[in-house]
Amino acid sequence: MAVTMENFVIKGSHPVMEKILQVAQKVASTDSTVMIQGESGTGKELIARYIHAYSRRANQPFIAVNCGAIPPDLLESEMFGHERGAFTGAVGARMGMFQLASGGTIFLDEIGEMTSTLQVKLLRVLQEREIRPVGADRTVKVDVRVVAATNRDLAMEVEKGRFREDLYYRLQVIPVLLPPLRERRSDIPVLVQHFLDKYNAKHDSRRCTIADDAMVHLWEYDWPGNVRELENLVERLVVLSEDAYVQVDHLPPNIRSFISEKKIPRPSLTEEGIDLNKAVEEFEYRLIDEALRRTKGNKQAAARLLGLKRTTLVAKLRRKGGGANQAEGYLI
Amino acid sequence: MSQNESPTSARVLIVDDDENTLEILRRWLAKEGYTTVSAADGQQCLDALAKEEFDIVLLDVMMPGVDGMQVCERMRANPEWRTIPVILLTAKDDMETRTRGMALGVSEYLTKPINKQELFSRLRAQAHTRELDRRMDRTAAAIAEMGDD
Repeated sequence: MAVTMENFVIKGSHPVMEKILQVAQKVASTDSTVMIQGESGTGKELIARYIHAYSRRANQPFIAVNCGAIPPDLLESEMFGHERGAFTGAVGARMGMFQLASGGTIFLDEIGEMTSTLQVKLLRVLQEREIRPVGADRTVKVDVRVVAATNRDLAMEVEKGRFREDLYYRLQVIPVLLPPLRERRSDIPVLVQHFLDKYNAKHDSRRCTIADDAMVHLWEYDWPGNVRELENLVERLVVLSEDAYVQVDHLPPNIRSFISEKKIPRPSLTEEGIDLNKAVEEFEYRLIDEALRRTKGNKQAAARLLGLKRTTLVAKLRRKGGGANQAEGYLI
Repeated sequence: MSQNESPTSARVLIVDDDENTLEILRRWLAKEGYTTVSAADGQQCLDALAKEEFDIVLLDVMMPGVDGMQVCERMRANPEWRTIPVILLTAKDDMETRTRGMALGVSEYLTKPINKQELFSRLRAQAHTRELDRRMDRTAAAIAEMGDD
């Protein structure tokens, strides 16, 4: 069973992942609609496959539909099928994904991308358990378990009127929420080792290992692309490694510099905007504090480190007010 | 709860042997809506954990007596405490200490001087996961109820 190989990937050892898998296993024994929410790359499809694999439908099809990847005007016929001549180019009748998934599970990924017209049709399918192929005058009964997923905050989409509230509640029967990888950092070393083993096994002669300090860099990185990004990187490291030993120098620059950037975070412009003068001032104070810390409070030496005259540094300190560790925004 | 939602009601245990640092952290966190309890060393931290429930522990490493790493070891060995996320706040910037923190399963490693916004963003992330954990408990309860029907 394909999911066995991947089990470990979604498992991890973080307490919240243990809980999610317990819930997934329990929900597998029901026929309820499941809604999986999580950032891109957190393993939503793996959880859906896991639920399918542990359900009574395990020997029936698992069909995945990426609602965001199919053009909106084609999605309806992809999902529900069409009759011959239903639209230009429909030379023969065709079954949709719901019929192909008959007896099994349909996984509707990126459900938040669905148009409002199709949302109404999906709601009907969930209520009536029947579909109407495009161009058909009759409905067809379907026995399919629906697992939907999104990387959007659907509650927010409902609030903004972009997603139907009734469909939201229909889908939200069992919500499963996946945390981003940076919120379960303790799983990173476990996952790195897992992917090293996986890709070593794919390349017979490889016995690639990783240096402790390189592992620390991977552990501290924030992984915006989550587990998928981590897996891709480990695969690349294994394939490209010349001496089968991954060191800090082999890591991409953005990961290598992440630890130092955490100390002096790159300023980010939020939607509400920032106060540039305040941000620049904060950055300045941060460097002044760092210089004073390194020189154990010696203003002359600190000024030299900063390329300032002592008097300029003193003036800045006076403007800042308070001692070194009262600097607004920093704590020594 | 959305991750950007603030203020949060998470309960944070702040542990540092420097009274000045404790005071600044207390002030920062209170302003963001966190409920805080302070401990001046590792032993006080363990005593506080035994007495009350916390969502997050902000932990200094170098302290007299039981140090931060020893606190982490004891937390990991205790089934009730092992799920509480620990954010290490430390002046120690070396790879060896970072590796130890990683091996002990800490959630975040921040080096002093601590940037306030950076600290808040890490606190929010951990509070978010705690909230997620509670929501999964509710989901589990809902499934159990469905089974009873």
